[in-house]
Amino acid sequence: MLAVQIKSEEEILPRISSNRLFIFQCPGCQEVYFPRGDAEAIISKLRLSEEIVGEALLDYLCNRDFVQEYIKDYSQQIDKAQVILVFSCGVGTQVVSSLLDDRVVYTCCDTLYLNGFQGVTTLKFNCDQCGECYLNYTGGICPLTNCPKALLNGPCGGAREGKCEVNPDADCAWVLIYDRLKRIGKLDLLKKVMLPRDYSKIITESLSREKIER
Amino acid sequence: MKTSLTDYTKFRLQPDCEIKEIFKQVNRIFILSCNKCYQRFIDESEEEYTQLIEILGVDYKKIVGHVPVDFLCNDFLSEKKILGMDLSSCDSVGVISCGLGIQFIAQLLDGKPVYALADSVPQSRNSTSGVGYHGISLEEEKCAGCDQCYLNFTSGICPITECAKSLLNGPCGGARNGKCEVDPRLDCAWIKIYERSKERREKFTLEAVQIRDYSKPSFKLKNDLSLLNQTRRYEGFYGGLHPLDKKGETEDKRIEYFPEPEVAVIFLSQHTGKMARPLVKVGDEVKVGQKIGEADGSISSPIHSSISGKVVSVEERIHPASQRKALALIIENNGKSEPAPSIEHCQDFEDLSREALLEIIREKGVVGLGGAMFPTSVKLAPPKKVDTLIINGCECEPYLNCDNRIMVEHPEEVFVGIAIAQKILGVGKVYIGVEDNKAEAITTLNNYPDKSSSVEIVSLKTKYPQGAEKVLIKRILAREVPDGGLPLDVGVVVLNIATIFAIYEAVIAGLPLIQRVVTVSGDNCSRPGNYWVKIGTPFKNIVEHCFNGSDEEFSRRYELKMGGPIMGIVQADLESAIIKGSTGLIVMKKSPVRASEERECIKCGRCVEVCPMQLYPLYYGFYGMKGELGKAVNYRVESCIECGCCENICSAKISLLSFIKKEKQYACSANKV
Amino acid sequence: MNFAEKLKSGKFIITCEVGPPKGVNINSRLAQAELLKGKVDAFNVTDMQSSVMKLGSLSVCHLLTMRGLEPIFQLTCRDRNRLALQSDLLSAYVLGIRNVLLLTGDHPILGDHPQAKPVFDLDSVSLLKVASTLMEGKDMNGNELDGKPDFCLGAVVNPGADPLELQLVKMEKKIEVGARFFQTQAVFDLEEFDKFMKKASKFGVPVMGGIIILKSAGMARYMNENIAGVSVSEKYINMMAEAKKEERAKVGIQIAAELIKGMKDICRGIHIMSLGWERYVPELLEVSGLA
Repeated sequence: MLAVQIKSEEEILPRISSNRLFIFQCPGCQEVYFPRGDAEAIISKLRLSEEIVGEALLDYLCNRDFVQEYIKDYSQQIDKAQVILVFSCGVGTQVVSSLLDDRVVYTCCDTLYLNGFQGVTTLKFNCDQCGECYLNYTGGICPLTNCPKALLNGPCGGAREGKCEVNPDADCAWVLIYDRLKRIGKLDLLKKVMLPRDYSKIITESLSREKIER
Repeated sequence: MKTSLTDYTKFRLQPDCEIKEIFKQVNRIFILSCNKCYQRFIDESEEEYTQLIEILGVDYKKIVGHVPVDFLCNDFLSEKKILGMDLSSCDSVGVISCGLGIQFIAQLLDGKPVYALADSVPQSRNSTSGVGYHGISLEEEKCAGCDQCYLNFTSGICPITECAKSLLNGPCGGARNGKCEVDPRLDCAWIKIYERSKERREKFTLEAVQIRDYSKPSFKLKNDLSLLNQTRRYEGFYGGLHPLDKKGETEDKRIEYFPEPEVAVIFLSQHTGKMARPLVKVGDEVKVGQKIGEADGSISSPIHSSISGKVVSVEERIHPASQRKALALIIENNGKSEPAPSIEHCQDFEDLSREALLEIIREKGVVGLGGAMFPTSVKLAPPKKVDTLIINGCECEPYLNCDNRIMVEHPEEVFVGIAIAQKILGVGKVYIGVEDNKAEAITTLNNYPDKSSSVEIVSLKTKYPQGAEKVLIKRILAREVPDGGLPLDVGVVVLNIATIFAIYEAVIAGLPLIQRVVTVSGDNCSRPGNYWVKIGTPFKNIVEHCFNGSDEEFSRRYELKMGGPIMGIVQADLESAIIKGSTGLIVMKKSPVRASEERECIKCGRCVEVCPMQLYPLYYGFYGMKGELGKAVNYRVESCIECGCCENICSAKISLLSFIKKEKQYACSANKV
Repeated sequence: MNFAEKLKSGKFIITCEVGPPKGVNINSRLAQAELLKGKVDAFNVTDMQSSVMKLGSLSVCHLLTMRGLEPIFQLTCRDRNRLALQSDLLSAYVLGIRNVLLLTGDHPILGDHPQAKPVFDLDSVSLLKVASTLMEGKDMNGNELDGKPDFCLGAVVNPGADPLELQLVKMEKKIEVGARFFQTQAVFDLEEFDKFMKKASKFGVPVMGGIIILKSAGMARYMNENIAGVSVSEKYINMMAEAKKEERAKVGIQIAAELIKGMKDICRGIHIMSLGWERYVPELLEVSGLA
C-alpha cells in the first residue's frame, strides 16, 4: 500500500509562488497513513501567501472515472488556476496529471510503499512479484523481500547475532529461513544451488498480459 | 486507461512439473486457495483449483481437503478461519495465492510443511525499478514508492515506472519511432514527458541533474509508519475507520437555546415500535409538555407537545428517519410557553420505587436519544438479568458534539441520571465509555466529586464506530453479543448520554422529552453550534438560521443530513422536523461522485478490512447488483449493524448500505411468510 | 598531439572502433587497429555493445595504449552502480586512458543475457557530471580524492531523433556537465544531418558524425529495423542489393565516402564503426579524401 510524506517547503514553494492555485487533496488512503498535520501546515501557509481559487478534498484520485467527474464539478475554479496542486500518492498524481494534461500539475507528496498491496492494514509480509517464487525452497520466507541484498543461496557474512547488517532492527532473513527449514525437517533444501533470477520475466510477463490500447 | 478485471491477475499456478514435484513429496495435503482480489466476480471461483486437479491426474487423491478463502492476506480473519479448521490429518498444506498469502500461512502453521502452488505474476513491467505498485483502482499508472517524487520535473509522468531504464535526465538513444527499445508496444517515456510539457507550454529544460537516492525510503521510516498503521487499525476492535473528525467547529460551543418554532411539526412516531395514537384534534389548545399522543402497546412511547399553542392540522409529512409519509400534529405557537400541569419537580428520587421510576420514564416519553429511539422504560426492564450498565458517551460520528457538551456542561445531571438507571436495573457496575477525542468531557467526568464508586469512566481510543452497541460492549467488557441478539443476552444494558440526561429531566424536573441537544454544523455553516432544539422544529428554520448561501445553491450543491455524515439520513424535504432521535443536522457539499448501485465491485477487499462485525460486505454488493436477494444471508447480513464503514471506504463507490437494507427487508419479509 | 589537443586545434578528427571479442583472443583485433596507426586519431572501444557479453572495454583500452594507440574508453550505465562507475573511471586513468565516452547503454533484454538485472543507477548525464566531479578531485559524495584523474569527456547524440528538440536539450545538458565532444550514430541522411548540425553547432562543441560501411542490403534493413537512430534510405539499400557479392564492399565504401564528403564541411570529424571491416578503413579514407 502506498503512503505519503509531504515534500519540504523548499521543494514546493518556489515552484508555485505567485500562481493562482487549485488544490486537490486525496483522503482515499488516509486510513493507511496521511501526514495531515504536515499537509495542513503547508496549505495554511499557502492560504496566507497565495491566491487559492479552490480546494477539493475528494478520495480515490487514482480512479480515472471519478477524477473526470471531480474535474467537471470544479471546472470553473480549475480554469482560473495557473497551477493545480495535488496531495496524493504517485498514482493519484499521475491520473490527475493525465486528465489535465495541458495544465501545470504539481505534487506535494513523496510516495513510499508499506507492505500490503491494496489494503488499509499493513502486513508483515511483502511480495516483489518476481514471477519465480522461491518460497518452496525457503520454508515460506521470501528471500527477496526479507533480505536487503535479495540473496538466494544463504546469508552474507554481515549478520551479527542474527540481525541484518543493513537493517539492524530486522532479523537476518537466512537465519529465519534456516530456523524454519529446521522446524519442518527440510534442511536439505539449503543445499540446492539457486540460480540467479531471470529479470526479463518482469518485462515479458507483464507485457504479455497487458492489452495496451493505442 | 483501465486494466480490465479479466486481464489482471496477481497469481497463477506454478509450472506443471514443479507441482508434480511437490506432490511427489506429500501424501495427505490440504489445499487453501485464495479467491483472488481484483478479479471478475465468479460465483464460487475455483479456476486454479480446477486446473490443479487436471494437472495432478491420479495424484489428486492426495488432497484431503480444500477450502477457498476470500482475501487470504487479511491475516486477522484468515487466521481465525484457519485455526478453526482441523488440519491434524494432513501432512502438509498447499497454498494457491500470491506471495503474501503463502508467507502468511507458512508462518501461521509454522512446523507444518507449507507449499506454494502458485507464483505471483509480475506487475510492474519494469525490471530496472523492479517494483511498481498500481493504485487501488486498476488504472495503468503505477508508483514505485521511491519517496523522492520526480513527477514535478516530468510533467506528471513517472520516469521510474514508465522508462524501462528508469532514467531521470532525459531519454537514452534507444527509442525508435517514439517507442521504447525494450518493446515496440511501449512508448518512450521521455518522449511522452517532452510532449506533455509542450502541451502545458512548460519550457522543457531538464532541470538540475537528478540522481536517485536508494537509501530512501529508510527502513526506519517504513517501520515507524507500519507500526503506526497497525496500532491504529487494531486498536480496540477489528475493523472500523478514522474519518476526519470535523468536531473542531462545535466542540467548544456551549449549548444555546434555538428559537422556538412558530409552527411545530410533531411526528407521532418518534420511537421504535407502534406509532402513538393522537390524543388531540384540530382546534385543540395545548400546553408545553402536554401529552398529545398515547403509547400504543408495550413497545411504543407517548408524544408530548414542545410548545404551547393550537393544533392547526393533523397531516402526513415526510418522516425524517423513514423518508416516507407519516402522521404529524401541526401546532401553531401562541408564544406563551405555558407549561402543562403534569410537570412537577421531584424532591428525592430515592423515595420512588423501581416501578414508579419506570412509569415516570415511560410516561414522559423517554426513548434512546443516540438515534435508535428505543423506549427507555422497556430497555430498563429487561426480561433477563443484567449485571452491567454501559453509558455510551462515544459519539463516534464526525461533526457531532451534543453528547460531548452534555458531559462537559451537565455532569451533575448525568450522574444523577445514571444513579436512577442504576437503581432501576439493580446493577453493581456502570461504565461510561468516552472516546479520547473528548478530553474535556473525560476530565470533567473524572473530576466530578460526587460520583458513585461503582461508576468507572473508560477513555477509549477514537475509532468509528466505537459507539455502536455491540462494538462498545466487546471493547469494554470483552463480551460478544450473539448474532441477531441483544446486549441483554450478555447481561448488559447500553444507554446514550443524552438519554441519561432525559431520564434526569423526566424524574427530577418532571419534564417530558420535548427538546434535545442538536449539533448543527457542516460546510458553509455560518452559525455552527450545539443547540437545545424543541422537538418539532422544522428543518428549514435551522437551515435559514445557520447556513450561508441561497436556497437555489443549497438544493443544487448541498445536502442536509440528519445525524452524522456516515449514518445520517439525507433530508430531501426541509418541511420535515426535528424528532427525538435527531442528534445532528449537518449540511454537506454533495460529492461529485455519489455511491451508486450501478458500479462494478473491483474486489479490492477494503470493505472486509474495515467491517467491525468481520463480515464480507462485497458480497452484499455483488448479489445486490445481480438482483439476487436472499443469497446475502450466507454472508451473515443479519449481523450487520449498518455502520457504513464499508460504503465509506469502498473504492468503487458502491452504495453497499442500500443493498444491505434491501437484503434485510427481504429477509424480514421472507421470515414473516 | 593527442586526441584532446587535436580537438582543441580544430583538426578534422577521424576515429574508429574496436569491438572486443566474446572471449580472450584479442590479438587479431589489436593487429587490425595497428594497421590504422597514423591514419586514425583515436579508437573507441565499446562496452558490451547491444548488451552482448564481451571482453571488457577497460582492458582492451589499456592494451591499445601499450601499443601506442590512443583509445576512447566507452563506459555505460547498464551494468555498474555509481561505486563501480567511479572506480572504473579511476582505474582507466591509472591505466593511461585519457578519453572517455559516457553512455546510458542498451537494456539487457536486447542482448544475449536478457535475464540480467539492469542497473542504470546513473545515466549518461549524471555519469558525465560524476566524471567531471572526479576531475575536480572529489567523488560524487564530496569526499576528497587522493590524486585526481583528468579526462577528455565525450557523449553521444542522435541527429535523426524525433522530436529533435528533446535531443538538443539533452545535448546541451551533457555539455553543461562536462561533455567536450560528441559522436553520433551512423549517418545515412545528409539532409537530416545538416538540419541537426545547424542547431548543434551553436553549442560550440565538436561533433563527429558516425559512419558505417554497409556490407549488404540485408544488413541495412536489419539496422533500420533494430538499431535506434539509423535509417538507411531505399536508394542505398537498392545500391547494395543490386551489387554483385564481390562488389559489395566497394559499393559500401562508395556510399560511405559519399556520406563523408557531404558531412566533412559541416562537422568536426567522423567516427567509423567498422564492425569487423577494419581492413577496409584505409581504402575508405582514401576514397573520401581523408587519407
